[in-house]
Amino acid sequence: MESGAASNAVGRARLSCGPDPDKGSLMDARLSDQADRDADADLLSRYAAGDAAAARLLAARLTPRLYAYAVRVLADEAAAQDVVQEAMLRVWKIAPDWRAGEAQVSTWAYRVVANLCTDLLRKQRTVALDAVAEPIDPAPTAEGRMQDAARLDALQAALSTLPDRQRQAVVLRHIEGLSNTEIGGILGVGVEAVESLTARGKRGLTTALSGQRAALGFEDDG
Amino acid sequence: MDKDKADQSLDALFDAARAAPPKVPDALMAAVVADAAAQMPAPRGGGSLVQRALAALGGLPALGGMVTATCVGFWLGLAPPEGLPDVGEAIWALGTENTTELAMVDVYDGGWISGIEEGFEDE
Repeated sequence: MESGAASNAVGRARLSCGPDPDKGSLMDARLSDQADRDADADLLSRYAAGDAAAARLLAARLTPRLYAYAVRVLADEAAAQDVVQEAMLRVWKIAPDWRAGEAQVSTWAYRVVANLCTDLLRKQRTVALDAVAEPIDPAPTAEGRMQDAARLDALQAALSTLPDRQRQAVVLRHIEGLSNTEIGGILGVGVEAVESLTARGKRGLTTALSGQRAALGFEDDG
Repeated sequence: MDKDKADQSLDALFDAARAAPPKVPDALMAAVVADAAAQMPAPRGGGSLVQRALAALGGLPALGGMVTATCVGFWLGLAPPEGLPDVGEAIWALGTENTTELAMVDVYDGGWISGIEEGFEDE
C-alpha cells in the first residue's frame, strides 16, 4: 500500500518526466526536481523497510532513464542491460544504509552507471573502432519515420566518436536533460568542467556530422 | 550562420533522441525487480521486548515445542513408567533420614540406588 504523500510525490514526479511543456517556469521546474528527489528517496526508504511495491515503483522510475543513458554511451544494448542491472543491484544493496538528504538517489545511480560505462569503454579500447562505433537503432523504425531513425543512427554514430567523458556529458545534458550541477555530481567534476566537456562534445558531434546535414534533412530546416 | 545552423541541426537530433528513448527490455525490468526481491532487507525489529524475545526463540511454534518438552519431562520425573527408576522419589527420599523409605526406592537389586541404600545402612 502506498502512503498518500508518497503517491502524490510519485505522481508529481511522473508528470515531470520527459520534455517539460512549460519550460519558462523555473519555479515549476524546481518544485518538480524536489518532488523527484523526495519520491525516489521515499521509495528507497520504503523498500529498506520491506515494501516490495516500493521497489517496483522505484525500478520503474530509474531503470528507463539509466538504460537510455547507458545505451547512448555504450552503443551496445546487451552491455547496457548488464550495466543497468548491476547499478540497480547496488541501489538495492545501499538501501538500508541510505541517508536521505545527502544525495539524490537518481544522481547516485547515474554515477554508478557512468563509472561502469567508463570501465567498460576502457576495456573496449583494444577492440576495433568500427566495432565500437557500430550505430544501433534505439527505437524500432516505424513506417513514415525513416528520417527520424536515420537521424538517431547518425547521432549515435557521432556520439560513439567522442571521448568517453565528453560523450557522457553530452548525453546527460542534451538528451537526459540534467543540469550541469547534477552532471558534475555524476561525473565527479565541477560545473565549469561540465560546460567544457559539453562544449567540446558538441563541437565533436558537429564535426562528425558535417557533410550529412543534407542527407539527414537539415538543409531545409534553416 | 553556419555555426547557428549546425547548432540547430544538433538540437534537432537531440530532440529526436529525447523523443524516442530506447525501450527497456522486459527481461531487464524483470531481472531488476527480481534482484530487488532477493536483496529485500528483513523488516526492522519492532514490537515489545516479549515479542522480540519470542521471535528470537523461533516464534510460537518453537515456544509450543519447548513447553511440551518441559511438561513431558516433569511428568516423567513425577510418575515414571514401569521399568524406569523413580528418580524424583529417590531425590526426595534423600532429603530425609528414613532408611525405610530408601528401601522402598530400591527397585533394583544393585545399581546406584542400592548403593545409596547400603551406604545408609552402614551408618
